Amino acid sequence: MKRAEYKVPGGKLLVADTEVKEGVLTTVKVMGDFFMHPEEAINDLEDALSGKDASQIDEIVEEFFGGKEITLFGVSAKDFAHVLKLTLDS
Amino acid sequence: MTETWRLIDMRIEDAPTQMSIDEAIALARPKGETPNTVRLYRWNPSAVSIGYFQSVEKEVNLEACEEKGVDVIRRITGGGAVYHDYNGEITYSLVAPEKDPRIPRDILASYELICGAIVRGLEELGVDCEFKPVNDIVAGDKKISGNAQTRRHGVVLQHGTVLVDSDIRTMFQVLRVSDAKISDKLIQAVEERVTNVRRYLGREVPFEEARDALVKGFEETFDVVLEPGELTEREEGLVRELHEKYSSREWVFQR
Repeated sequence: MKRAEYKVPGGKLLVADTEVKEGVLTTVKVMGDFFMHPEEAINDLEDALSGKDASQIDEIVEEFFGGKEITLFGVSAKDFAHVLKLTLDS
Repeated sequence: MTETWRLIDMRIEDAPTQMSIDEAIALARPKGETPNTVRLYRWNPSAVSIGYFQSVEKEVNLEACEEKGVDVIRRITGGGAVYHDYNGEITYSLVAPEKDPRIPRDILASYELICGAIVRGLEELGVDCEFKPVNDIVAGDKKISGNAQTRRHGVVLQHGTVLVDSDIRTMFQVLRVSDAKISDKLIQAVEERVTNVRRYLGREVPFEEARDALVKGFEETFDVVLEPGELTEREEGLVRELHEKYSSREWVFQR
């Protein structure tokens, strides 16, 4: 399991845990003090990423937030992709 | 005619019960059996509440909580970790339908309005403070109130903390500010970013006085009368059901 943290400038903190096996995301968890409405969408985001190639993080996150009515405060869709990719380098 | 909202006034309960009551009121509200509701309450024992998305291990010093008898609970709202000091903190919650004409549809605007009631209450006590988006109230540059909102079942639930005389040293013992080992100097710097009403005014502020000021803040901001009332039987039933979820390890440790 690899963890990365990213404090959005002027915004909230994002923490991500990922596990990658043979290039595939097997575990994805995103945490932090941000706001997401509806809250349960976080599980859908994690499910959308699990089992996918780690190189696809940008596309999957963009598609996820683009296709749903999700309101974020303190973080943006791009920040989610950023912190998730940080775990790959850590 | 001025509308009347229900006030559930200064109920003292443990953490799972307090969070169950907030959710129960939000669940019952759409059925129209209950009016808009404001609660003011205190937590006994003292507790740390963490935001819906937060990692409990990362945010909370569980050993320090255990040692001090401080409860730990996860909220249904996002945002950060809060130390609810039984001897120094008042929590409020507000439940109203999303379509209530007083509640802005825009979430950020509704934070500003609802936090405005707290700002007004604090000003009544003599604290010069302001709303700081997204969800804080600051006096000078120091945080004195944190707030969190969720919208579900067509209802707005916002709750928040008002630091009256919270023990700020204990606050930073039970909350983890950083993974790195914190030097005393750093703790001091963090402590300086938070204040409370007593510290700000330089005098003791009894809970009754703070309570009266907050009630006035809500009444003036929303142009309503808060009338003390009780939970309905249905709400009390929901509280009993929800209590199991909030006190479960599965809920608290899910992240």
